[in-house]
This record gives sequence, C-alpha cells and structure tokens, in this order.
Amino acid sequence: MKIENTKAQMRKGVLEYCILSILQHGDAYTSEILSQLKDAKLIVVEGTIYPLLTRLKNAGLLSYRWEESTSGPPRKYYALTESGILFLNELNNTWSNLVGSVNAVISKKPTNDEQDN
Amino acid sequence: MNKTININLGSIFFHIDESAYQKLKQYLDAIRRSLSDDPQGKDEIIADIESRIAELLSERVKNERQVINETDIEEITKIMGQPEDYAGSEEIFEEQPHSSKRKSNKKLFRDGDDKFLGGVSSGLAHYVGMDTFWMRVIWIALTPFTSGMTLLLYPFLWILLPIAETTAEKLQMKGEDVNISNIEKKIREEFADISEHVKEGASEFSEKVKNADYKKYESQAKSGLQDIIATLGKIFSAIFKFLGKFIGALLIFIAAATLIGLVIAGFSWGSFEILGFGGDMINFPPFIYGSMIPFWLLGIFFFIAVALPFVVLFILGLRILSSNVKSLSTTTKLSMLGIWIVAILGLSFTGIEFTAQRAHTGSDIIKQDLSVAQQETFTIKMLENEALSNKMRLRYSEGYETVFDGDQKKLLSNRIRFNIKHTEGNVAKIKIRKSAEASSRLLANNLAESITYHFDLTENNLILDGYFLTSIKNIYREQYIDVIVYIPEGTILYLDASTYSFLDDVKNFQKVKDRDMPKHLYKMTNESLYCLDCDENDFGYNYDPNKDNFNLQIDENGIIIKLSNNADSTAIKINKTGITID
Repeated sequence: MKIENTKAQMRKGVLEYCILSILQHGDAYTSEILSQLKDAKLIVVEGTIYPLLTRLKNAGLLSYRWEESTSGPPRKYYALTESGILFLNELNNTWSNLVGSVNAVISKKPTNDEQDN
Repeated sequence: MNKTININLGSIFFHIDESAYQKLKQYLDAIRRSLSDDPQGKDEIIADIESRIAELLSERVKNERQVINETDIEEITKIMGQPEDYAGSEEIFEEQPHSSKRKSNKKLFRDGDDKFLGGVSSGLAHYVGMDTFWMRVIWIALTPFTSGMTLLLYPFLWILLPIAETTAEKLQMKGEDVNISNIEKKIREEFADISEHVKEGASEFSEKVKNADYKKYESQAKSGLQDIIATLGKIFSAIFKFLGKFIGALLIFIAAATLIGLVIAGFSWGSFEILGFGGDMINFPPFIYGSMIPFWLLGIFFFIAVALPFVVLFILGLRILSSNVKSLSTTTKLSMLGIWIVAILGLSFTGIEFTAQRAHTGSDIIKQDLSVAQQETFTIKMLENEALSNKMRLRYSEGYETVFDGDQKKLLSNRIRFNIKHTEGNVAKIKIRKSAEASSRLLANNLAESITYHFDLTENNLILDGYFLTSIKNIYREQYIDVIVYIPEGTILYLDASTYSFLDDVKNFQKVKDRDMPKHLYKMTNESLYCLDCDENDFGYNYDPNKDNFNLQIDENGIIIKLSNNADSTAIKINKTGITID
C-alpha cells in the first residue's frame, strides 16, 4: 500500500465538503475556487476539480451563471442552491463529529498489545 | 521553423504550433477517455477544462503575435494534472445514486467479506451480477455432473484470483455487471471511438488534399498517408482489444471443456478397470501392456501431457479477460514445464519401447500327417468357441477381444488364414505356422510358440479352431496363424460354412472366389481344387467353362502338355524316358 494513495484518498474525501464551504461565503468562479484550494494545499493539480464541480452541479447542489470577463473567456460563477445549503449543513455536522472522533482515537494511547496495521 | 494552426479554445483565438497542437489534442482526448461514459457531463467537463486552459494560456500570451509552443502546453499539463487524476476524482462519486456508473472495467476478485471457503463464489457472483447464494448452488449442483471437476477448479481459482482488499478493488469487483446490454453498450462505445477516429482521419486527409500546395504536394501526401496509417492503427488496436476479450472467453471455454472431458474420461477409464468391466476399451492405449513404466504412472503422464497445456490456456484466457488475475511465479512456471517434459519423455520412452517390442518377427511351425480315407468325403470345419466369445465376425473389427478362460484373462483373436493345397504324396498333411513380433527373434519365436491353437481329426472330419488364445500382455504383437492343409489328388473335399472368412486365396480350377467357396464339394486334381457342384454364379469372372484349358511347358526336363476340360485332364510328358500319357 502506497502512502501517496492513502493521502490522495483522504484529501479527496473532504474536497467536496471544502468546495461547498468556499461557496458558502459567496459565489465564486472556478479559478477562485481553485486558488483557494491550492493555497490550502488540498489539491495539487487543477484538473481534479472539474469533474467534481460538474457532478455537484448535476446533483443539484450547485448552480452557475456565465459572466463576461475583461481579461479572458467568459467565467462560470458557481453558487450554492437550497439543497446545497442543506447538504452543507449536514456535512458540517458530520465533519465536526468526525474530527472529534478521529482526534479521540489518535490521541489515545494503545491500551493493549494491538498495533496499528 | 514550424507551421502554426489557429484554434478556438474556450471562445478565445490562439496561434499554436502544430506539434503543440497535437500535444494539446492528445491531452484533451486522454482526459475525455478517462472520464466516465455520461456524455452530457463529459462534454461539460471538457468545456470547462478547455476554458480553464484558455484562461491559463491567455495569461502566458504577451502579445497578439505570440505563438503557443510545446513548452506552454507542457506547463499547462503540469498545472492541470495527468488524465489519471481526472479519473481518480470521480471515485468519490462511486456510490452516489445521482452519478452515472463509471466505465465498465469490472474485475474478477475473490470477496473476502462474503466467503464460505475462499470467496470464489461471491467474487464470481459479483462479476456476473447474480446472487452469491445461487452461485454457490451452481457450484454444488455442477459437482456431480462434472465428476468432481469443480472440486479441482475451485482451489485453482482460489489460487489465481486475488482477494479484493482495497476499497477501489472492492468497487471494481462490484462494478458494472457483465451482461448482454452492457456488452452491447461496450461494443457501441468501441465502435463510436473507431468511427470518430475514421471521421477525423478522413476529414484531416481531405482538408490536406484541398489545401494542397502543389509544390509541397509530395510531403503533404506523405504526412496525410502517415495520418491515415496512424488512424488505421488505432482502429485495428480497438478491434483487436475487442477481439481479444472474445478470444479470451473462447480460450477459457475450450480449455475448461477439455479439462472437464479429460477428468471424466480419466474417471470412467479408471473405474472400468477398478470395477472390472471387461470392455475392449481398457486395451487402449495399446502400449500399456508389457511396458516398463507401471500402468498408473503412464495414466498420470498421459493426463499431465494433455491437461497441462490446457491449464496454461485457461490461465491465459483468464488473464486476457481480467487483467488482475495473478501471474504464476517463475518457479511455478518452470516446475510445470519440468513436469510436462518428464511426462512427455515418459510417454515417448514407452512409445519407443512399444515400437521396439515389434522389431522382429518370429514363428513356430507345426507339421503333422492326417490320416484321411480317400474314398470318403473329407470335411473341413472351423470351430468358434461360444463359451469364450459370442462375438461373430471379429475379423472385421480389429481382430482382438479380451476374454476369460476360466478365471484367466486372455486375448482371443481369429486372425487365421486358411489355405488348401495339392500334395504330390498319398498322405494328407497339415502345416500350422504361428507368427508374432517381439524385440528379438528368440522372444518372437517363444511368443509364437505360446499361442494356443488346436485341431482335431475324427472320421474324416477335420475340425480346426476358428480362434486362438494368447496372453493378454501380448496385445498388438501382430500374432496370426497360417493353416495349410495338403491333400493328395483324387480326394473329395467338403468345405463347411464355418470356413467362411478364414479362406485365404485358395487356388481352384473354376477361379471361385474365397467367399463363394464354402458349402461346396471339391475334388483335388493334380494341381488345384475342382469344384463339383458349383454353378455359373459361383465361378470367377475370368473363368470360361467352355474353353479347354491348355498348358504347354517346355524346359530342360522336356515338354509337358496339359489339357483339361471339366473334371477330366490329360497330360502328355515328353522327356528322356520317352512319352507318357496320364
């Protein structure tokens, strides 16, 4: 088992949640979302995000509108939909629970001989 | 110097190098392929990616006249990521009901989460999209019908199939079902790909022809041709990929059928021997008797020699169908090859041994006088032994049968040739010549001598055995018996119906064929038999009864003139003693 795979799996799991969270603070176009995720080192290559955005949009969690840009092609601005907000709230709960549980597990010292695999 | 192309990427105009264009196109095509098969989402994603690339490129373009080159594309690729990254990001959505299923790349694994023995059944059930319970029922139900072949197949699959460990593997295991509609979909996809390639190739080519600058006609035609060849290559590889799967399935089917057949044959062969069915079948293959290598080992050798290549075919087929089937280790491969070679050597050795056993022909001759009363009719019969064999006309099969003489298993044969000849003396004689083949002349002679054959003369009836017996170990040693009865001139002979099929080219005056000879009376003349009660239907085709038979012989002893007509014959001999007339 490669460490890189595990890392990528972990990162991918929260990516969806992060995209929704970014849009919670206001509409954004793809490059803005990208730069925030890249700054947070959540993604390495940009390509990863496009299938994600499309899926989220097709699932009805996101909507988008076109806006003209002065410096390039027209931009796709994404916004959370009603169900997207509900979905995000649900994820917020899940996330805080998960963080709590994971922290509890990793900070506890092993009580018997069982070792991590 | 490079040619440039104008492209419209995300509604923005770019000058781009031809080589850079090819690179970009390949990159986008690769992404398209790595994305799932939902056409709407795919196009949208590609459009988004294209506009992002356009955005990134326009940041790099300083002025209107700048041309995008390969380095730019390489850096864009670095930012955007490899095609595999796009595919990877979709795995998150694997279990979401809204998202369409990913490309059908279901793989065969063992399911460790749902196992009774090794999880083979549940893995197979996932692969064909049926309930695990029914798959187990099928395994159990098939066991008696395949003589336990499935019991062998199971551990085989257990070893070869990897267990699904990671989530990705588990998802692959449960991926899209392999059923008719999905196969059809798959074929359509492949063909859509092909037709796209063809269209692209054709349009590129026609464009090139249209825009042909005739000075550079030659070089362009060349590159057009290269494009077409490349396109054809793509088409063929797609077709072969599809054919490959088909061939894989076929290989598995053939190999499995052969292996099952072999095992069934082996079991029934073995059980015939064990249960003691005395069928002729157990005499095959012919070399199993008298071989230095024991019978059971030869059986195993034979099985290995035939089965092992099919096992290899089976694995090959599995690997073609499902790329994750474990490859056998080099040690296993080499030891399999070694075992196979040993089996082949063992079989060849026995084959050579078998051939050598027949190198020399030996014989045993018995001669005996027969006291036949010349005045009475001399009758010859061939006796079948119904106690031993009830098989009539054995001669027309292979001429052998295994029988039980008391409690001893023996070989019965009726390869007997019977002939009747004239003798100069006054006493009838019989000559029996037994022949056999063996690895040396002496052994062959002994073998010939050991053949049991009897005859009996009572009251002018000669009763010959219509069969002979020999040891079961001597099968396929070319044993046969020649029986010749010599009778003096004037003897009246009756051939019983039982001599039918044993008569071998018996010389007679009317040239009656062997098969027409029994059930007739004959008189021995001074050279051959003369039929007394045959009619025209029995006569040989080249016999003319009206023509006198005239024979003139002139040599250093003098002159002999023979004249025969029907039963009477006259001979005039002229030699040193004078002229004699018989």
